Amino acid sequence: MKRREFLKGMAATGAAASMTGGLGVISKSAHAADKVDFGQVKGLEVEVLSETSWFDNDIFKKNLMDYGGAMTNQYTIPWDWNNAGGYMTKITVYPLEGDPKILLMDTGWNNEWVDYIYDEKSDMGKLLTSGKVDTMILSHWHLDHYWGVESTLKRSPKITMYAPKTYFEEDMKLLKGGQNVAKTKDGKEVVINKNGTPHQGKLVLTDPKGEKGDTIYRLMPGVAVKMYDVPILLRVRGENVLYFNVKDKGIVTVTGCCHPGILTLNAWARRNVKDYKPYGCYGGLHITLFETWDPKFDDIIKGVKAFQLKKVGCNHCTGWIWGEKASAAGVPIVKGTDKYKSYKRTSTVAKASNVFLTNGDTVVF
Amino acid sequence: MSNSPTGVGKFNYLYGLINLAVVFGIVWVLWFIFMHADGVMKLYTPMYGFSLVAMLLASVILLGKVLGWPSDPERALPAGKAIGQGILGVVLSLAIMYVVYYLGFWLFIGKLGVAYFSPKALVAGGGTGAEPWNAREWSSTAILYFSTAFLWWALVWDLGFGRWPWQNDSRWVTGWSRLFAVSIFSIITFAVLFHPHVCLIFPEAQKMAGAKPWWEGWASTTSAFFGLGMVLCTLFWVVYSDLFWEGRPWKWLERGGESNLAKGVVTFLGTLLLGLLLVYVLTAIFNAIWMEPYQGGQYTDGPDWRFIHMGEVSGFCVLFAFIWKYYFNNWPNGLPLLVRAIIRSIIGVAGGMLIYWFYYSPLAVVVLGKVPGWGQPSDQPLVWTLLFLGVLLMQAQFFHDWPLRRASGQGD
Repeated sequence: MKRREFLKGMAATGAAASMTGGLGVISKSAHAADKVDFGQVKGLEVEVLSETSWFDNDIFKKNLMDYGGAMTNQYTIPWDWNNAGGYMTKITVYPLEGDPKILLMDTGWNNEWVDYIYDEKSDMGKLLTSGKVDTMILSHWHLDHYWGVESTLKRSPKITMYAPKTYFEEDMKLLKGGQNVAKTKDGKEVVINKNGTPHQGKLVLTDPKGEKGDTIYRLMPGVAVKMYDVPILLRVRGENVLYFNVKDKGIVTVTGCCHPGILTLNAWARRNVKDYKPYGCYGGLHITLFETWDPKFDDIIKGVKAFQLKKVGCNHCTGWIWGEKASAAGVPIVKGTDKYKSYKRTSTVAKASNVFLTNGDTVVF
Repeated sequence: MSNSPTGVGKFNYLYGLINLAVVFGIVWVLWFIFMHADGVMKLYTPMYGFSLVAMLLASVILLGKVLGWPSDPERALPAGKAIGQGILGVVLSLAIMYVVYYLGFWLFIGKLGVAYFSPKALVAGGGTGAEPWNAREWSSTAILYFSTAFLWWALVWDLGFGRWPWQNDSRWVTGWSRLFAVSIFSIITFAVLFHPHVCLIFPEAQKMAGAKPWWEGWASTTSAFFGLGMVLCTLFWVVYSDLFWEGRPWKWLERGGESNLAKGVVTFLGTLLLGLLLVYVLTAIFNAIWMEPYQGGQYTDGPDWRFIHMGEVSGFCVLFAFIWKYYFNNWPNGLPLLVRAIIRSIIGVAGGMLIYWFYYSPLAVVVLGKVPGWGQPSDQPLVWTLLFLGVLLMQAQFFHDWPLRRASGQGD
């Protein structure tokens, strides 16, 4: 008997539901009957400002290993500053009517790197200073997506921010213009992040219930933020995901790390978005972060094919090796260019296969 | 495991509760020293710590259930003797763990035979991702799987085959013979259930060394978490029928008070079938809670996570069964077997759910330093569970449950 048949058979008995009633953990959103409709956009263009959160995997992993592994609090590790980069994405949204709107997702890690990207490798610095970019979506509170917040705030202190409500004390301290220190093994205190410009704009703390109880936050017609309350390594919790409903194409997701899983994102949309059609994704897909392998990554390749995504733009924590294997298996991976080689620093794991959309690349949905 | 404590009269449940609290404290101290993310050694990477506690538990079981040392752990001992023997048992367990894990797997088998058992051999082999961190996680995964296979066979052999076919031989002949038998079946189990997974954990899959995971069509995953969950669901029944049902129904097949081949085979197949039934039921329950998983899903949507979570649920229930047996005297004891077996089983599952609640509550975030929520890939609840079980069994087996049960009857 195939597993699907087996599950259906079990569900038909109704026994399972009655047995779980006492646990009190049934997800209400998972059983939502009403589908959400958040409108449509004409299209969107995603520009990779920076996907190189760190440049050398081995150094990052050594920092992690020396101070306790993946479950350690990120604020207790004196990270190697010279290895830090950051993750930031520029998203230009083309509405059905009116002018395009530009969104910023995430704000990087190393301020020096973020400033370099904002001012020398893109127009994001000018867009922030001029107020043309007035909304930032923080995907999650990880160091490589958030600790460079000073670079954004010193250009646009009143920017509206959407951030997961599952923050920790240190996260908010940084946002309000503070700094955090960690101790090295010999007891020396090291400043690991700082922010001299407190956030003065609107802060929308997202939670899984959404703005109106329908699990999403509507940014503009065709664009929504959904918060997934998932546990993440380095004592971080919760991730915001951007959903775009592109007219005549379908749903596109844009993610920072995609910790909940790309298939989970599409499974939610399939169950909950009116007239769902799978189309594409961009971002880190959090699969083989350190270029290692596990059979479950083969599962993800098969799953992505089964979900029939038409355009998969990936980078960052996806893992080059997953991109290469997925591409070889027939997943429609959008290839990048060699533009990243013109940047002053590059990742040690970048390969000639260009299965990543790397720094400076764009993808249109 | 007999249900009637020897050498004591009325059981003092308050002492049992105090004992539980003290052991919980000891486990927490060990957790903080060895595992906690903000602790001292931080071995919870997670697979390295996971494999170490699994090997420790396997060592304790090897001594107590396979080699049969010490004999008759149900018998109460004078304090001095219990402490001396207990310390010896702890030292022996740690020594076996060290020898098997580091000398046996890392230095001998890994370096000279099967490379994936040794981080250094993997690093020496080179290739994508073959650096010390990944290599240690990979070899830890393999060792964890082997320890699981060993635990399964050690416990099911003790329950089903008992001393057969060496019942007329000396204790040591029986013990060593059982060790060889359990080891052989563990190797076969490892090869069939887990080796296909380990062969795929490298960036270049070792396709010629391992079969394609045969369970994929049914389980919707190529991960051997399928096998891990199934084995742990089977162990649930092994432990429950041993502790709570006092060996029934398997015991009814004994002849002259001794186990035999038929009892062993029926016990193995019976607990396996019940294990599969539990997989079936838990699959449906998880499906009702988190909806249907799909191949490639992550966190709670991943079939691989669903399978290991079944193992975790079983692990919590097994831990509580041992707690109930040793710290609460397996209450109730005066009723007909069927009634007391049912009551104990209900209590065991309820207690397992209590541990489940604790582990996923904010309390565990503070006490164990875990990240809140379900399904984080680095969160392995079985690490804490197996550590607790190891400490509990050391007290029960090696210390003869001292100080809870004493020959003088002071614990009455």
